[in-house]
Amino acid sequence: MRRLSLPDSMEQHTTYAALSALLPKYPRSAGAVYQTYNDLLLAQQWSNLEVVDLPSSQRCGFRGQKKAADGISCVVPCSLAEMLCVGWLEGVMAELGAAEVYLAIAAEDSSTVYYRVRAGVSKPPV
Amino acid sequence: MSTIQPQGRSGPAKGKGKGGARRTENNRIYAHPLPLVFTEPQGKLLPTALGILGISPSRVEKPHCEGVFDPTTRSVWVNNSKDAMILWRRGFFGKGNLSRSEPSWLARQVNARQAAGKYMTSEEVTAKRRAERKQFKLDRARAIAAVAAEAEAAFAEGRVIDTEEMKANIPSAATWKPSTSSTQESELPEASAEQLEPDGEISAEPLEDLEHMQLTLPEAFFLSWALDCLTVLHPKTMDPMTLQELWTSFQSAHLSPHLLLLPSASQPLRTDNPFLLNYVFFHHYRSLGWVIKNGIKFCADYLLYKRGPVFHHAEFSMMLIPVYEDPEDEKSSPFNLPNAAPFTWQWLSTVNRVNSQVQKTLMLSYVTIPAQSRMTESSLTSPACFAQYSIREVTIRRFVPARMRD
Repeated sequence: MRRLSLPDSMEQHTTYAALSALLPKYPRSAGAVYQTYNDLLLAQQWSNLEVVDLPSSQRCGFRGQKKAADGISCVVPCSLAEMLCVGWLEGVMAELGAAEVYLAIAAEDSSTVYYRVRAGVSKPPV
Repeated sequence: MSTIQPQGRSGPAKGKGKGGARRTENNRIYAHPLPLVFTEPQGKLLPTALGILGISPSRVEKPHCEGVFDPTTRSVWVNNSKDAMILWRRGFFGKGNLSRSEPSWLARQVNARQAAGKYMTSEEVTAKRRAERKQFKLDRARAIAAVAAEAEAAFAEGRVIDTEEMKANIPSAATWKPSTSSTQESELPEASAEQLEPDGEISAEPLEDLEHMQLTLPEAFFLSWALDCLTVLHPKTMDPMTLQELWTSFQSAHLSPHLLLLPSASQPLRTDNPFLLNYVFFHHYRSLGWVIKNGIKFCADYLLYKRGPVFHHAEFSMMLIPVYEDPEDEKSSPFNLPNAAPFTWQWLSTVNRVNSQVQKTLMLSYVTIPAQSRMTESSLTSPACFAQYSIREVTIRRFVPARMRD
């Protein structure tokens, strides 16, 4: 196993290719989107990850499976500095066509935390 | 052996031999609190001679690390793993973008492929602990339900039940043992054998390291300006950026990251730029010896470690509260700084509750922003403007008069 040489910038990175169509369209959210995509694909290792255009919130979201056998989950990235409201979340959920979405909050040191947001009230499992 | 511990037991107390060996190893690996290394010369004659002349014989060794500025993520990427390790091990600078702390993504992939990782990375240890805790919670819930059902049945029959005996059947963190670990381990080799069979070339396939070490802009500026250990390259030209260029680009990144514009007449340099505020905070506490990390996991802006994340949990959670000297600056600000407006007691209560549960002290750090009107154009073009900023801390602790007399 040998290590290949590393890319120098974001655009040269292998994972940029999947985002290259939509990332330039929404420059303000580009950082959070790129960071979340890398985290889901490489660290969390989600399967069948697809990029979804979310024009109402001016960013891209993602759809994929947490583990190979699971159902489809949706993720919408945002940065820590942003102010969100319920209407924003409702718009995002409508565009993704899901009643439950993971909000991925990206910090500048590359930490990403995920919050599960569901429409309605639900009891925790245990 | 279960990795979940009942509350109250700290890490090093696990086992004298094991804890002591790890502590010694950590003290050896993380011996240098900063990337600078002071070396004493060998021999006795020369140092004594120099000492008589009033010249200090010790020398400062500076590593020359390289990073690339990425305006989109507002960070500096260190792609060279040797530089990344130096910066992490000498001062805990940066974070692997696919890991919890130092870049360990490649090691985790290697471990996964070999399916029998001898040395578990910190992420793997945490994953194992979380899986065990989940299993413990399920077992406990099942035991509680069984005890309740038995109590109901006994009550229906009119039998007297022994509550102490019932409670003994419910597992606690101290008494629970992971029961299915042996079956899980035996499943793993079978799965990996199936994966390897169709494509026996997996082990020979080169594994590309897709992870970099990410430095925040304050960290990168501190390493470049204060310690002179880091060269930052321009993302388009790959030329080293001068300190002046770093100063202006790091601020511009907060104005218009995608365009890499330099400040102009329409967008002049402002005293409330988030880079300046975060840098003031970072430089202040770093020079007092604290290791500063992001606090997003605990509802805070920053966490302060006494020595570093590998030694002990962070003692303080810090919130950066900007205070405008001139209210007009706040109205004209394009940044919309968080926590600049008066905060609600619900917010304070939430943050304090989260941090009390993890035994951290919450501190509010007030950074005063000088008025834009009294700063000249030239004063903002260099770090000399930092003399106008001030910082002070307020500790928050919840006080319950009825319970806190003892």
